[in-house]
Amino acid sequence: MTTVDGRHTLDREAERLAYKPPEVRHDIQGDMETEERVEKAMHHFVKNFNSQTASYLDGCLHCGMCADACHFHVRTDDPRYTPIWKLELFKQAYKREAGPFAFFYRLFGFKKKVTIDQLEEWQHLLYDSCTVCGRCSLVCPMGIDIAGLVSMARHGMFMAGLIPHELHETAKRAAETGSPLGITADKFEDRVEWMADEHEVEIPMDVEQADVLAVMSSIEIQKYPQSIAATAKILNAAGESWTFRTDGFEATNFGMLSGNPGWQKEATMKLINAAIKIGAKLIVLPECGHAYMALRWMGANMYGKPLPFKVMHISEYMADALNKGKIKVKKVDTSVTYHDPCQVSRRGGATQAARDVIRHLGVDFREMEYGGDYNWCCGGGGGVVTIKRADPLRHRVFKLKMDQVEKTEADELLSSCANCRQSFDDSQEHFNWDYKMGSLMEMVAENLEDEA
Amino acid sequence: MKTIPTLGDILQAQGVSRRGFMKYCAATASLLALPPAMVPRIAQALEQARRPSVIWLSFQECTGCTESLTRSSSPTLEGLIFDSISLDYHHTLQAASGDAAEAARHAAMEENMGQYLVLVDGSIPMGNPGFSTIAGISNYDMLMETVEGAAAVVAIGSCAAFGGIPGANPNPTGAVSVQDLVKDKPVVNVPGCPPIPMVITAVLAQFLTFGQLPELDIHGRPVAFFGQTIHDRCYRRPFYEQGKFAETFDDEGARKGWCLFKLGCKGPITYNACATVKWNAGTSFPIESGHPCLGCSEPGFWDKGGFYAPLSTGNFGSGGKLAGAAVAGVALGAAAAVAGRRRQAKYTKEA
Amino acid sequence: MDLLDFARGPALQVAAYILVAGVLWRLVGILMLKEKPEFSEPRKPGGFMAALKVIYTRSFTAAPFKRATLYPKMLAYVLHIGFFAVIFLFVPHIVFFEGFLGFDWPGLPNNVIYLSGVAAVVAGLALLVRRLTDPVLRLISNFDDYFSWFVTILPILTGLIMPVRMGVRYETLLAIHILSVAVLMIWLPFGKLGHTFLVFVTRGTTGMVFERRGAKT
Repeated sequence: MTTVDGRHTLDREAERLAYKPPEVRHDIQGDMETEERVEKAMHHFVKNFNSQTASYLDGCLHCGMCADACHFHVRTDDPRYTPIWKLELFKQAYKREAGPFAFFYRLFGFKKKVTIDQLEEWQHLLYDSCTVCGRCSLVCPMGIDIAGLVSMARHGMFMAGLIPHELHETAKRAAETGSPLGITADKFEDRVEWMADEHEVEIPMDVEQADVLAVMSSIEIQKYPQSIAATAKILNAAGESWTFRTDGFEATNFGMLSGNPGWQKEATMKLINAAIKIGAKLIVLPECGHAYMALRWMGANMYGKPLPFKVMHISEYMADALNKGKIKVKKVDTSVTYHDPCQVSRRGGATQAARDVIRHLGVDFREMEYGGDYNWCCGGGGGVVTIKRADPLRHRVFKLKMDQVEKTEADELLSSCANCRQSFDDSQEHFNWDYKMGSLMEMVAENLEDEA
Repeated sequence: MKTIPTLGDILQAQGVSRRGFMKYCAATASLLALPPAMVPRIAQALEQARRPSVIWLSFQECTGCTESLTRSSSPTLEGLIFDSISLDYHHTLQAASGDAAEAARHAAMEENMGQYLVLVDGSIPMGNPGFSTIAGISNYDMLMETVEGAAAVVAIGSCAAFGGIPGANPNPTGAVSVQDLVKDKPVVNVPGCPPIPMVITAVLAQFLTFGQLPELDIHGRPVAFFGQTIHDRCYRRPFYEQGKFAETFDDEGARKGWCLFKLGCKGPITYNACATVKWNAGTSFPIESGHPCLGCSEPGFWDKGGFYAPLSTGNFGSGGKLAGAAVAGVALGAAAAVAGRRRQAKYTKEA
Repeated sequence: MDLLDFARGPALQVAAYILVAGVLWRLVGILMLKEKPEFSEPRKPGGFMAALKVIYTRSFTAAPFKRATLYPKMLAYVLHIGFFAVIFLFVPHIVFFEGFLGFDWPGLPNNVIYLSGVAAVVAGLALLVRRLTDPVLRLISNFDDYFSWFVTILPILTGLIMPVRMGVRYETLLAIHILSVAVLMIWLPFGKLGHTFLVFVTRGTTGMVFERRGAKT
């Protein structure tokens, strides 16, 4: 832990931490007529109304408990950030269009048709103030998966051309170039070569046949390229037959985050096709949260049938390899606390994997309060970190994480998601905080023991 | 006009002591919830009472009300009270019959025009006048003719008061109550199937004493006897509160005298004096004897769902109709789901 | 036909038909919509047992959320338990159910039931006050929330008034009480009171989806 610079002590209660509601900005894409936008929104809401969605939307009791679980509401006390309120338009559309009493709702006007003003107002609620972290889904006494519904509601918003500007640009770039940051296959190859050189590690690329397909996220490739080397070191140490593929290397899925199911499917299919091409038995996903959700749990549904290979998050892979003795690590003498990426732990079911890895590392592990399945979100997931106007909100929310981490008094803070890392780094800079997030995978890679 | 002896004269002649007479007046005052100061007034009124003319009309009845009356507990005094009204017409009790009887009725009406009491038991059939006749006269005609000169009409028993058993579903004779027909004379209902003897005589005693009819409730019943429910005065009420109920006749709970609610007791909605005044000189009343209250002093008590159906039993309609409702629900739901699916498919294809 | 006959007869009948039809309408209308197919490889078995598990466990708030939700949760428990005690453990009500179920069960003394009813109404009032004053609830509440509250509290209230009379004849109070139950039966399938049967569907669905992921439920 770095020593705190006395000249710039962090004063939590200072004015600058006061919350200012974000500037009102209704981003619009395309040049559709208003009516067309509204219609598109409705149609793409309706597309999602299957029996599962219907039971959820029909089951809400307006108890308001979801508000108590949501970091955005808890840190601002703004009732509009009540999770189920973010779904109000989606719910309205359901009751009018697909519910059991839809005919009567329309006939007697029990629910009005969604208007363009409402849609514009809800852009902020559905995008800026939701990271799809899923805490609300855990507290709901009716068991409604509120977070999942937000992802679905985004479909309508995207198709209506009513999503935050930066998120749209990023998603578009991903659809056009294959990477949200515009990293082409060539660029990727370059970076891989560079990392192979710098870290003196063998990194197979575009091998014809391999058991394991490794993929990366653009954030790592661009901002934390050492992840490429770390991944390679671990897979090599495990003696895996593996490769990167230039025709399928991007794990992120901005189609999913922004609400474009077509783009979501495209990105997923790239990975699936690459894996099938090389006859892979396993895809190892990088330190990325939503990538896990996109492929492990939603991938097969995009594909339309069971995947012909297994999918693991790198933390799961490492835990499995360590538990089976395929790789070994030296004991690391430090104290560690762990931030759970929502899509891997809470939503993904792989909470224990990271802890297995940490156990093998032999560190003094200090679980933060609510650590594990109920952990607070970093505040930047679900695309929020890309939305500039949401920065004040995201920073306000970050206090929860700072308090959590500091209470543990651990030396190191680790996680296993590059987006969380980016969110933490941004807030760390903003607050001049003394914790810098480290990568679980990197710690393992740095402490690999040679074959015993 | 022959001299009509006063009640006082009669009692004296019969050898009834003053003390005995005063005891009766005190009991009557108590029954009517009147203060002790009223006792001398009752005594005076009764003593000086001229035997008013009473015409008793029996229509579609079982004679139970008359039977109840004659089973009075103090035959000496009540019998005497009865002797002290001039019962000028009563099918069961009178000696005369046929034309002679009708002539007696008319004579009584003429002689006491505007002052006689008409007591009625039994319901009046409106479906066909021939359903019930006396001396060839329909009940309806006899009733309307007789009440013309009456001071007041007392409908004795649930049949006369509310239609009773002839009026129960499906009411084949079109039976109606006295108050359904008599609109321009004061009508007092003394229901019960049959009514308690003391209740009948107390109403008459009040009329004799005060020349006016008692305070009546919304069903025209004297509040003094029909102002509280059996439930509120039932000695088994503590068991109701404790949740101790007889489940069947003669089970352990029944033998212990527990509440009879589950066996169909209508006590909570029945207004009568059974729980306090009781029957046969305070010997017992149905609940005390182990049988749930039938609710016999209430309108339409035959059609309240059944004597052994507990008061809180619902009537959910036929199983068939419920099944029909279920089918309708499923159909509507399926239709809504199909419509929802269609919409979803349409927009999925569109994209 | 007087008010009590109407309440015990046609009113309850019609209410029963609407209740049955409405519940099935809503359930079938939801369940017959297209089912989302699931092809991902499960981490753990899901299915019916998972559904049952979450139907049970979601009745209890997880530890991290307990403090924040303690007040309304406690009130809701008092309301539900008091309500169910009154409905199912008051002997005249048990007799009501026996009438169409064919079997009965032991009840509690009337004064205990009365206390439960009072507790339920008090909790209900506290919850209403909360709904009217808490900013989150003020924003998200609509007609359904308030009407459902009214329709639920009314039978308890009218039942509590019966022994007290308040100058009204018993049979009239009984009729009003039964009519208020009929209103509750009629409204139940359509508003948020439908959670009576929907809770099994929503919790069960989440159980099936998330248990198979090995995720926290």
